[in-house]
Amino acid sequence: MPVYNFKGMKPVPTAPELVDIVLMRTQRRTPTVVHPGYKITRIRSFYMRKIKFTQQTISERLSGMLTDFPRLNDIHPFYADLCNTLYDRDHYKLALGQINTARSLVDSIARDMIRMVKYGDSLYRCKCLKRAALGRMCTVLKRQKASLAYLEEVRKHLSRLPALDPNTRTLLMCGLPNVGKSSFMNKITRGNVDVQPYAFTTKSLFVGHCDYKYLRWQVIDTPGILDHPLEERNTIEMQAIIALAHLTCSVLYFVDISEQCGYTIDQQCSLFRSIKPLFANKQLIVVVNKVDQQPWESLEEAKRAMVQGLADDANCSLMTMSNLSEHGVSDVKAAACDKLLATRVDARVSGKKIEGVMNRLQVFNPAPRDGVTRGAFIPDSDGVTDGDVDMDGGNIRKTARELMWEGGGPGVWAPDYRDQYDLADDSWKFDKIPEIIDGKNIADFVDADILDRLEALEREEEQLVAESDAARMGEEPESDLESEEEAAVEAIRARKKIIKEKKLATNTQNKPMLPLSIRGKSKDKHDAGTLLATEIRKTMDSIGVDSSKMLERGRLLERGRKRERSLSRSRRGADDEDAAMDVDVSGLSKAALKKIKKEKGEKARRDLSQARSHSRPREPSQMGLKDSESVKSAQKLDRLGRKGWMGASGEGDTRKSVHLVKWMNTGKKRNGTHYQR
Amino acid sequence: MPQHEHMERHAKLHGRRFDAEERERKKEARMVHKRSEFAQKVHGIRAKLYQKKRFKEKATMRKTIAMHNERNNKHADDDAVADGAVPAYLLDRQGVSRAKVLSNTIKQKRKEKAGKWEVPIPKVKPVADDEMFKVMRTGKKQNKAWKRVVTKCTFVGDSFTRKAPKYERFIRPSGLRMRKANVTHPELKTTFQLDILGVKKNPSSQIYTNLGVLTKGTILEVNVSELGLVTTTGKVAWGKMAQVTNNPELDGCVNAVLLV
Repeated sequence: MPVYNFKGMKPVPTAPELVDIVLMRTQRRTPTVVHPGYKITRIRSFYMRKIKFTQQTISERLSGMLTDFPRLNDIHPFYADLCNTLYDRDHYKLALGQINTARSLVDSIARDMIRMVKYGDSLYRCKCLKRAALGRMCTVLKRQKASLAYLEEVRKHLSRLPALDPNTRTLLMCGLPNVGKSSFMNKITRGNVDVQPYAFTTKSLFVGHCDYKYLRWQVIDTPGILDHPLEERNTIEMQAIIALAHLTCSVLYFVDISEQCGYTIDQQCSLFRSIKPLFANKQLIVVVNKVDQQPWESLEEAKRAMVQGLADDANCSLMTMSNLSEHGVSDVKAAACDKLLATRVDARVSGKKIEGVMNRLQVFNPAPRDGVTRGAFIPDSDGVTDGDVDMDGGNIRKTARELMWEGGGPGVWAPDYRDQYDLADDSWKFDKIPEIIDGKNIADFVDADILDRLEALEREEEQLVAESDAARMGEEPESDLESEEEAAVEAIRARKKIIKEKKLATNTQNKPMLPLSIRGKSKDKHDAGTLLATEIRKTMDSIGVDSSKMLERGRLLERGRKRERSLSRSRRGADDEDAAMDVDVSGLSKAALKKIKKEKGEKARRDLSQARSHSRPREPSQMGLKDSESVKSAQKLDRLGRKGWMGASGEGDTRKSVHLVKWMNTGKKRNGTHYQR
Repeated sequence: MPQHEHMERHAKLHGRRFDAEERERKKEARMVHKRSEFAQKVHGIRAKLYQKKRFKEKATMRKTIAMHNERNNKHADDDAVADGAVPAYLLDRQGVSRAKVLSNTIKQKRKEKAGKWEVPIPKVKPVADDEMFKVMRTGKKQNKAWKRVVTKCTFVGDSFTRKAPKYERFIRPSGLRMRKANVTHPELKTTFQLDILGVKKNPSSQIYTNLGVLTKGTILEVNVSELGLVTTTGKVAWGKMAQVTNNPELDGCVNAVLLV
């Protein structure tokens, strides 16, 4: 089933615009460079392509229009008739026909001219032919000026038509002008139709939607109809007539019994009779409107009989209603919907399709096991009836909006959320809570789960008390260490803690790794101070040991092996000295001892090995330097250079940012301006 | 107003902004400057098109102004009534006299006779043979060059049948054959698309005439029966001469002017 939505149609360009579009596209989408020196076949195909492309573009655009616009024979007769009254069917068809003719004309022009280009023997001739071809095609388009303008207007109007589905559940209001059709529409839907106290306020069909029985209902508001022959009806009235004629719907015929609309009841009845044939096969309700002005009961007997006669003649029901007092509005809606729904269901059931469904249905009625009635359980929690049903009853809960208007309108009234508080006792709801008591802000002491916490704390305390009691009952735990030992353990623990902390502090992953050769090996990485000469002297002096030899030895170790042979020669004589030193050194740290031991072993090995007969080459880094002074200064410079090495940019990283690029900023400016090219 | 006229509806419900008129006025006032700025900036084909459009607008503007001014201008009273009474025997002398009609037909006849070759395009550029014909190489080795292909548009009658290839010296390509001409009636100033009946004279050469070549200045015979022209004797004329006014091979169509 097609969905009637005419919003997707593309805008129709005017004739000059269309010519511009076509030529521009040809210029942009086909090659533009050709020379007389090219092979003639190449020149020919160049121009043939242009002609062909233009023709394709034009026929594409025109075909688009032809497919976009609905064909009146194919769409629902309601829309077809609506188009006929609004846009004139003949005019519409002619315009589309002319577009179609233009398309075929363009095609034939292109065919002829391409044939001519095939015999072109020079670039000039081909070019002239192309020019003639494009010109002729554009002339054809220009002739369609009027049709294109008309189609654009039609498209605009069509796309603004309400999205009305001819096949869905529909309520349709009709009647003379000003009898309250649009007001009723506004009452039951959110269509927001313009309501004014003059005739023909509604000039076209309006669509709104409402819900009833969990179904969506389409409500159509029609312009007022006057009582005269069909030929004399104008476009506005015809829209209402078309809607009545073509839609299967529930019709509400409005009668204004107060006669405030300017038409007597007699006139309204005669209109009903004249359009009665349109009500065939529809669910009709005669709605007696404006009963707030003129109650139905107190109406003159003759008039009442006349209106009642209408309903009896048409074999339909009669309902009273007032838009102003909202009396009977929902009743009318419900009655109309029910009637239509019943017929629709009937049609379904009597149709062929139902067979397929009924075959699959099986209904069971369980036999009652006892005489107890088990009704539906409806809780009366707040004793409020459903507001939707009770339109003119009294006890409806007030909505917030109503409360707002009573309380002084928006901006003045604010909802009191205290009545929604969920407290243990309802009488607490409106209690006043002070902000400050005894100079203290209550908010600082408020805690949502303070009671829970208090409880938890108390429990913990109880447990602790119980434990301590239990501990007092038993013996006190006692350590089997001496006080000195305990002190030593304490010291060890402190040192371990320091080690741990140091490790944590220094051993971060996010640092560049320095090789050992550069970083050097620290003697005691956890305590650099202990290996300084001054420190050693201080500690040794305090102990009462002579530290001078120790320091000399330390310096020796640091500097490396001496080159003099004499020393190694005199080694055996210095054994005692060594032994004495061993004792001296025992105060040193473990690592230092280890190092010394290792050194000793190496020394022994070196002593056994043969002496060197050649001088050693200098270190590569010291090559080319004059003397030790210059070496020192070089080393110093090196150290300085390495100082900021850690992760920062080094001297090799220097970079010069460029602000002015010479080639961009000098010279003649041929193309474009200084600022943009 | 259909349901979805959003703009109108909005204006109706909420009105327009307070300075709407002022803004419109200003926009219009600024339009002049904007247009001038564009006109000074634009160049190339767009400039040409723009100037042409602007010229047309200005011309219509000037005409309208002139029309409005007309009621203020003074006009000479052309049909002033002759003074005095007119004698009865002069009363029917007014209007077209018979003598004048006769002289008109004589003039027409003379014109037809004398002006037979007084044509709208008296002089044309001669078309040389090598421009008119392209040599077509034939033979198994493509070494024979005695065939010619006509490169201009031609008219070929309905009854034409090609000769056997051995004897066909001139080839008139079917793609360049023309059957219709757009003929302008110089007095009626209207154009009709008419069938070509034959080529009477090609000013460049007799051969071209025989081949039916259509170049600028060629005299054609066209079928004017649609026009309903009547000869002096009262018969419906159906063949009339016309002269080609364009280069059909460049335009893809034959434009001609009727010789009357």
